[in-house]
Amino acid sequence: MTTANRSTDLSPTSGQPSRWRVLSWQVAGLLIILGLWWLVTDVLKVYPPYVFPGPKAVWTEVSYGLWGTGPQDGKLLGAIGGSLRRVLTGYLLAVLLGGVVGLLMGAWLPLRATLGAYLTGIQSVPSIAFVPFAILFFGLNEQAVLFVVILEGFIPVALAVSGALLNVPPALRVAGRTLGARGLGLTLRVLLPASVPNVLTGLRTAWSFAWRALVGGELLIAGVKSLGEQLEIGRNTANVALVLATIIIIGVIGGLFDTLLRAAEARVRRTYGLEVQS
Amino acid sequence: MTRTTKLTVSTLLGLLISLPASSAQTAAQSASTVRLGYFPNLTHAPALVGLERGTFQKALGKVKLDARQFVSGTTLTEAFAAGQIDIAYVGPGPAINAAGRGMPVQFLAGASEAGAVLVARKDSGIKSYRDLGGKSVAVPSLGNTQDISLRHILNENDLKSRTDGGTVTITPIAPADVLAAFAARRVDATLVPEPWGAALEAQGHKVIGTEKTVWRDGKYPTTVLIVNTKFAQANPALVTAFLKAHADTVAFINRSPAAAQTAVNAQLLKLTGEKLDPRVLQRAFARTRFTTALDPAALREYAALNVEAGYARSAPDLTPFLRK
Repeated sequence: MTTANRSTDLSPTSGQPSRWRVLSWQVAGLLIILGLWWLVTDVLKVYPPYVFPGPKAVWTEVSYGLWGTGPQDGKLLGAIGGSLRRVLTGYLLAVLLGGVVGLLMGAWLPLRATLGAYLTGIQSVPSIAFVPFAILFFGLNEQAVLFVVILEGFIPVALAVSGALLNVPPALRVAGRTLGARGLGLTLRVLLPASVPNVLTGLRTAWSFAWRALVGGELLIAGVKSLGEQLEIGRNTANVALVLATIIIIGVIGGLFDTLLRAAEARVRRTYGLEVQS
Repeated sequence: MTRTTKLTVSTLLGLLISLPASSAQTAAQSASTVRLGYFPNLTHAPALVGLERGTFQKALGKVKLDARQFVSGTTLTEAFAAGQIDIAYVGPGPAINAAGRGMPVQFLAGASEAGAVLVARKDSGIKSYRDLGGKSVAVPSLGNTQDISLRHILNENDLKSRTDGGTVTITPIAPADVLAAFAARRVDATLVPEPWGAALEAQGHKVIGTEKTVWRDGKYPTTVLIVNTKFAQANPALVTAFLKAHADTVAFINRSPAAAQTAVNAQLLKLTGEKLDPRVLQRAFARTRFTTALDPAALREYAALNVEAGYARSAPDLTPFLRK
C-alpha cells in the first residue's frame, strides 16, 4: 500500500531522509512555486490580471475574506464554517449509514452480491452527475447538497467495512468461535475490531469523496454560506483572485483533514502490528 | 535525472513556452469579423431587432457579423475577458465589475432602461417588499444587475440575504427557467428582466415591484452597449458604424413598437424555440424604455450599489471607461 509506505519513508530511523529535511524541501518547493507564479503574473505580466492574478492579489482576497473587518469582509471565514458544518454532518451520517450497510453486506451474501456490485458502479459516477437529480428531488437547498455528500461518502465506507469483515484471517474467526462467540457477538467483538485498519482506509477515502462532492454541489446551489458560493460569486463578479483564493482554501482544508486521518490510520496500523518500524 | 524529474521539467518548460502564445490575443489590426454578444431578453431588444432586420450587418458592410447568444452576464464577461467577444449588450452590473477588474471595457451607449420587475408566486403570500423576509427569491445570476438591485431593495426594507446573516435566500436561476421553478414551488419570488416578468404575470403571478419602484423611479440602465477597448482602438470606423446601426434600431423601436415587437418575437422564436403571446410582449414593452442615452450618474450609483451588495470593495472610477 502506498499510503503505508509513505509513513515509513518519513520515519527518521529507517535510513530515509529525516522529517525536517522533507519539511524544508516542502517549504522550498512552495517558495519556488510562489516565485514562479509571481514572475509570470506580476513581473513578466504574461496574463492580464483579470485572467490570472498574481499571488499578492490572491493573498489580499484571502486576508480580507478571513480576517478583514470591513462590513463586507470575513465572507470566506463564514463560507468555511458553512461548508465544514455541512461536510461534517454529511460525513458523519455517511459513516453511520456506510457502517450499517457494510456490516449487513459482510454478513449476508445475497446483499453483498447485489448491492455490493451496484455500489461499485455508483461509485464510478462523478458526484456532480447526481446534483441535478438531487435538486429536482429535494429542491435548491442544503438537503440536495447533503444528499450528494452522503451518497458519495457512504459507498467507500460500506465497501471497506464489508471487505474488511471478509478479509479477517480465518484463524481469528475460529478462535472467536472456540471461545464461544456466535452470530452478532462474533461480528461485533471479533471481526469488527480485527477490521479496524481496513475500515480506517475506507473512512479516509470517504472523506475525500465527501469533500469533493460537497464543493461540487455547493457550486450549483447558492443561497447558503459556502465555499462553492464564493467560487460562484468570484466567477460572476470577474474576481479571479477570489476564485483562486477559494480553490487554495478548499485544497488546504481537504489536505489538512486527509493528513489527520492519515496519521490516525498509520497509528492504528502500528498498533495492529501492520507497520513494522526498523 | 529520474523519470519524474524529467517529466516535471519538461512539463514546466512546455507551460512557459506556451504562455505567451495563449495570452490575450484579442482584436487584431483591422477586424474581418465583429463578434457580438447579447441575451434573449426584451431588455436586449435593440440587439434582437437589429439582428432580425439585418441593420447591423448592413452597417458593417463587408465585415461579417458573428452574433452569439449568452444566458447571463457571467458567461458573457468571461467570453469578453478571453477576447472572444468584441461588442456586447450587457447589464450594467457585469460591465461595471469588468471595468473594476481592469478589463478592456468601454461603455458605448445605453440600450434600455427599467424593464425589470419583482414578481411573487401567486400562492406565496408576498404582497410587498417587506414580505420577502424568510422567502427565497430568484435572480438571473449572482452579482448580475437584478441581483444588485434586489440586494438594494432588501437593504431599504431592513432585510438581508441569508449569506449576509439575514433571512432571504437569493438563488440564481436563468429567467427562462423561473416559470418552471415557480410551478415546482422551488422559489417564492423573482426579480427578472422583461419579458419574463410579463410572462409570469400572464400565468397569474403577482407583480409586487414595478420597473419604477425597483430603483431610481425607473431611471436606471438595464442594458448597456460595451466594446472591447483594444477592438475600438483598432477599428474606430466599425465601432462608429455599429453605434449608428444601434441608434437607428433604438429609433425604430420607439417609432414602430408593434413592428419591433414582431421582430423581437421572431428572434426569440429562433433563439429559444418559443414565441410569446403578443399581449405579454406588449405589456413587457410598456415597462421598458429604449434609449441610447447613458447617464454617468446612474452608472456611478450602480457602482456604489455593487459595493453595498458586497461584490466589490470600492467603486471604480468609470470616467476612463466611458466613450468620449
